[in-house]
Amino acid sequence: MRLGFLLGEIWTGLRRNLSMAISVILVTMVSVFLLGLGMLAQRQADTMKGYWYDRIQVSIYLCTDGAPQPNCNEQAVTDAQKDTIARQLKEMPEVDTVFEEDAQQAFDRFKEQFRNSPIADTVQVGDIPESFRVKLKDPTKFAVVSSQFEGAPGVASVQDQEKVLRKFFQIINGVTVFALGLAALMAVCAGLLMATTIRQAAFVRRREISIMRLVGASSWTIRMPFLIEMLIVAMVGVALAVLMLWGAIQVIFNLGVNQVALSQAWIGTSDVLVVAPWLFGGVALVALLTSLLTLRRYLRV
Amino acid sequence: MIRFENVTKRYALTANPALDDVSLEIERGEFAFVVGKSGSGKSTLMRVALREQLASEGTVMVAGHDLAAMSSRQVPRLRREMGAVFQDFRLLPGKTVTQNVAFALQVIGKPRHVIRSLVPETLDMVGLADKGKRLPHELSGGEQQRVAIARAVVNKPQILLADEPTGNLDPATSLDIVHLLDRINRAGTTIVMATHDSAIVNAMRRRVIELHEGRVIRDVADGSYDPALTPDEARPDVADVTWEPEANEDIDPAAGYEGGA
Ligand SMILES: Nc1ncnc2c1ncn2[C@@H]1O[C@H](COP(=O)(O)OP(=O)(O)OP(=O)(O)O)[C@@H](O)[C@H]1O
Ligand SMILES: [Mg+2]
Repeated sequence: MRLGFLLGEIWTGLRRNLSMAISVILVTMVSVFLLGLGMLAQRQADTMKGYWYDRIQVSIYLCTDGAPQPNCNEQAVTDAQKDTIARQLKEMPEVDTVFEEDAQQAFDRFKEQFRNSPIADTVQVGDIPESFRVKLKDPTKFAVVSSQFEGAPGVASVQDQEKVLRKFFQIINGVTVFALGLAALMAVCAGLLMATTIRQAAFVRRREISIMRLVGASSWTIRMPFLIEMLIVAMVGVALAVLMLWGAIQVIFNLGVNQVALSQAWIGTSDVLVVAPWLFGGVALVALLTSLLTLRRYLRV
Repeated sequence: MIRFENVTKRYALTANPALDDVSLEIERGEFAFVVGKSGSGKSTLMRVALREQLASEGTVMVAGHDLAAMSSRQVPRLRREMGAVFQDFRLLPGKTVTQNVAFALQVIGKPRHVIRSLVPETLDMVGLADKGKRLPHELSGGEQQRVAIARAVVNKPQILLADEPTGNLDPATSLDIVHLLDRINRAGTTIVMATHDSAIVNAMRRRVIELHEGRVIRDVADGSYDPALTPDEARPDVADVTWEPEANEDIDPAAGYEGGA
């Protein structure tokens, strides 16, 4: 079959079945948008985990002058106490690296993190406690470190960064499950709609099909226009969904969240480009399989 | 070219078979009428020969292919060796005459230059050289049937099956169409035409195969047809009409079919 002829048949086919084509585009768009949202949420969780695991998992905050924690007795930590903590940390097999952050560094980091927030202006050096930042060989071994240093002399508090983030991860996981669940439902809709559309298209073109069969067109020649039409329509749906994802990321993350926290910990529009090929590929596969199955049933030679 | 050996075709849920132990052979280059009353099985015979339906029993050979043994992938190749026209023309209403005829070549992947030379040539042959740009609804019934014939023969098939091609046409136009088929036959195409129009059959004096309730009750060269006669009174040969292959055939059917395959 000549390409020009094939394209002509496809164009006529799409025009004659336009309303069905549009509904497939819209349903594909919504389901792919939800699927993409779920995938991006997971990427967000991974990015954050990676970000935090790369840095510290446990912060041992030391006492400052007049610290409210009862363990401190309102006294700042002494150098001897600091040495003891540092030595004990180095002896622990679970510990990978230890980084000592003094009051000035803590202040600078805080200023940097909250550079866009009004809180940054009110803090002074010394407000942010000195701390040991401990990186664990296995981030889940937090409890070992925490039990050893909780209540030790000079220690104000031990904080597990993962615990801080756990709530956040729970939310992200909730979003993921919700989005993927809806996406699965919508994918079923999309598949059924594609099958119906092909049946409809085959019905609209039953004369052409019967003549093609009569004059000896191969079954591939008969099926090809339907397949390509479905692929085109599905790909348009995915393209729209990817645009919507890009817009959503732009609005939610780049404009909203980056104001208040670390930009490295957030996914960006480039992540949309990473998931897009999977979305295109996956939908192409679904469209192809659905079409082939439907055509097999409804277009016998 | 076409051979039926003890072919029976039963449709689901019907008591009597549409074809009942039919045996016949149509040679290369023959022109045969298939006649019989409504419901006698003419269309069924055509559909079985086109492999639109498979026979329930018996062997059907067309252009050297055993239709029952054929896989569905091979069916298109068989259909390219056959043309078919019907009572209802089956033209595509949105395409012009030229496009309708070209469609048959386009969907089997013929190159453009071949289409460009074959289509006008064929339209000229059926007498529609000047009507290529018309749409089907702008043509008379006879002209529409000519377009359908052009589409059926544009790929130069060895066999043309015509199922009541004149069923929707007046007697004069019908005769024109049959003369056109006759011309195509004289150029070498084997033609099988189902009809119950006795005027045409009697005007042409070609082979006549008569079906009655799915059985061949008469098969004569230079035949005539009188639908008013019942099988018993008009045809003393009614009892022994089963076809026998002739022993002294000078054409080896297998060799003949090879050329077409
Ligand atoms: N698809 C089908 N399913 C069931 N029975 C069928 C089917 N097609 C035809 N028949 C039956 O088979 C018998 C032969 O039908 P067929 O169409 O071959 O007759 P015909 O000789 O072409 O008739 P006509 O002259 O009216 O076209 C009839 O009894 C008909 O009812
Ligand atoms: Mg009929």
